Amino acid sequence: MEAAPKVGAADDAIAVLRETTPFGDASEALLARIAAISRVVRYGAGARIYSADDTADDVFIVVSGCAEHVFKPEVGAREALKRMGRGGVFGWAGLLLGQTRRLATVTASEPTEALRIDTEALVRLLESEPLEGGHVMERFATMIQREFAMPALLAQVRRLSGPLTEEMSSLSLTMYRLSLWLRSPRPYLMLIGFALFLSFWYLAVEVWKLPRFREMPGITGVVKEWFAPSPTYGLSLYTGEYYQHIAMSVWRVTQAFFLATVLGVPVGLLLGWSRKFKEYVFPLFETLRPIPILAWVPLAIVMFIATESAVVYLAFLASFFATALNTMLGVESIDESYVRAANCLGASRWQVFRHVIIPGALPFIFTGLQISIGVSWFSLVAAEMVSGQYGLGYVIWTSYVMVRYPTIVIGMVTLGLVGYTTSAMVRIVGDYLMEWRVRELALAER
Amino acid sequence: MRRPPAASTRGHILIEDVVKVYNPMGAAMLAVDHCTLEIEPGEICMIVGPSGCGKTTLLNAIAGFHEITSGRIVMDGEVLCSTERPKARPGPDRIVVFQNGALFPWKTNLENVVFGPVMQGKLARNEAIDKGRAMLADAGLSGVEHNYPGEVSSGMRRRVEIVRALMNDPKALLLDEPYRALDSLTKSVMHEALLEIYYKNKVTIFFITHDLEEAIFLGHRVAIMTTRPCKPKKVLNVDIPHPRDYGVLTSKRFRELIEETNEAVHEEALKAFQAGEKEG
Repeated sequence: MEAAPKVGAADDAIAVLRETTPFGDASEALLARIAAISRVVRYGAGARIYSADDTADDVFIVVSGCAEHVFKPEVGAREALKRMGRGGVFGWAGLLLGQTRRLATVTASEPTEALRIDTEALVRLLESEPLEGGHVMERFATMIQREFAMPALLAQVRRLSGPLTEEMSSLSLTMYRLSLWLRSPRPYLMLIGFALFLSFWYLAVEVWKLPRFREMPGITGVVKEWFAPSPTYGLSLYTGEYYQHIAMSVWRVTQAFFLATVLGVPVGLLLGWSRKFKEYVFPLFETLRPIPILAWVPLAIVMFIATESAVVYLAFLASFFATALNTMLGVESIDESYVRAANCLGASRWQVFRHVIIPGALPFIFTGLQISIGVSWFSLVAAEMVSGQYGLGYVIWTSYVMVRYPTIVIGMVTLGLVGYTTSAMVRIVGDYLMEWRVRELALAER
Repeated sequence: MRRPPAASTRGHILIEDVVKVYNPMGAAMLAVDHCTLEIEPGEICMIVGPSGCGKTTLLNAIAGFHEITSGRIVMDGEVLCSTERPKARPGPDRIVVFQNGALFPWKTNLENVVFGPVMQGKLARNEAIDKGRAMLADAGLSGVEHNYPGEVSSGMRRRVEIVRALMNDPKALLLDEPYRALDSLTKSVMHEALLEIYYKNKVTIFFITHDLEEAIFLGHRVAIMTTRPCKPKKVLNVDIPHPRDYGVLTSKRFRELIEETNEAVHEEALKAFQAGEKEG
């Protein structure tokens, strides 16, 4: 006899929760857990539920009856008076950022039944279910802004801490982002873009046979060659040589990029930080920077007896300039106020460098590194075409000389894919180091 | 009534005969002209003048961001800068709160707040974190510790920045039009929040603004500055007792004080405008 009504009560609670904005699309399991920490309370007509400036402890959900709100004038709610019936959620002030007091006085205008949920218990519960919990909090924010017409200043909900944001496994976070991405139109637009390009290639070469494209390898030929276990021209996904070329190019770019970063970032920081150093070095820097990498090839060959180091040197050179220049701009972009604030707070010159200059320049540094890895590939291929054995640039050039046209395209597409991957890796490292910026940009997008 | 509560004995600032001449491209420009002003310990002194009148120059001289040409500035008997040593050393005894805010966007609010004591080696990191949490909670800011400044509202950022300054137990806060960019609703919330913090901490406050109502609402005294060169034109004692709240704005005395000073402020604004026209 005792147990039966309790089960019924939980079902009723779940049914009400489902009618609310914040919990409306939560899973059955989460609703059951929320129902478990809620209790039903009854108020007579005219009873005061809580007063403005009380400690904001519980969240309420109207089961039946009517709750009437009178907001404090300072809150700036567009309607100072609000009535709500079944499914209405109130008493959420404790979920707001930096808010510990009630913002309104609430009375039951007729006999009213409501669910009460302890705010802290609710937050802990949501924190234990990071993905869904975060979603519920976002729905809370939306509800507060829309249904209560609160100024955005006040309607900011707390961020769930603990497992949700700080220790949430990167895998589940990535999966969550991936699911968001798949639900947006972006991946499909991207696919359409690729499809249009590839069909143009197919039509131009193989169907319309346009004059300019007469000698071009067609898409079917390239794909067949690329996936052939025994390729006509000796290079496909099934030949070890293919991977040897990729590995060689990646290894060279890695060396060049690593050297360019290790040297370019400090030089850039110094250029931005020390006026004197800039006066010595910058004019020289600006004279050397516009010289195309191909113009360096002869000197590089003369300088380095081994072709290997000459190729790496050329790829390094372009990267270095991009990294150093962007780092310098990054330092110069830092608002003077930050340095002054740090001085006021008693930071030494070195501490300013470590805590203001470096993190402040980081967004520019990573822009520089992404450009740097791009130009590193660019000049690597140029260098491999001129000198060297192995490498994707070498493949493209020798295939041209030996009239293996489909292999040229295989080399080009591979370059594109590998280049994109390396640049994405740089971006991921950057996002990891600049969480603050990722969050800022995410907010701006919303 | 002009004297603030006797509880404060530190944070006395004496600006004595300070002159500042800028020299952009050889054309000397007098920004501050023989300015003398004494600020009592624990006083809220509001500096009012039109934009570009040279009041920020004065603040930069006290803070130690810029040199002065002659005169001297003394704080609690210690000469900050003088004709002989024209640039003060910036330090945690007088902390600036900047016009556009200068919380480090790459540090969380809590990391920002503990920055001062940790950099100076005054507190161990753990102690600083405990103190920081307590002070944030005291200012009604619990729950934002692990947010980055970019994630909270601009009003909250200003409050966090003031908490960051107070963590160092400064003698004076130098505020450079900190609420300029805020909408009026947020601004009124910020004024009460600032007063609340002030009643708890009693630091000297040197507050620059161009908003006369703000100045009279907050200040023990309001110094109305002349325009380029900058020096006090009129110093008004605000004889409305502290603690104050927003009821003051509608009081008769408040209106009277506004009327009394409005003309002086308007005159300077007009002068600044005409000077701008000439330059333009």
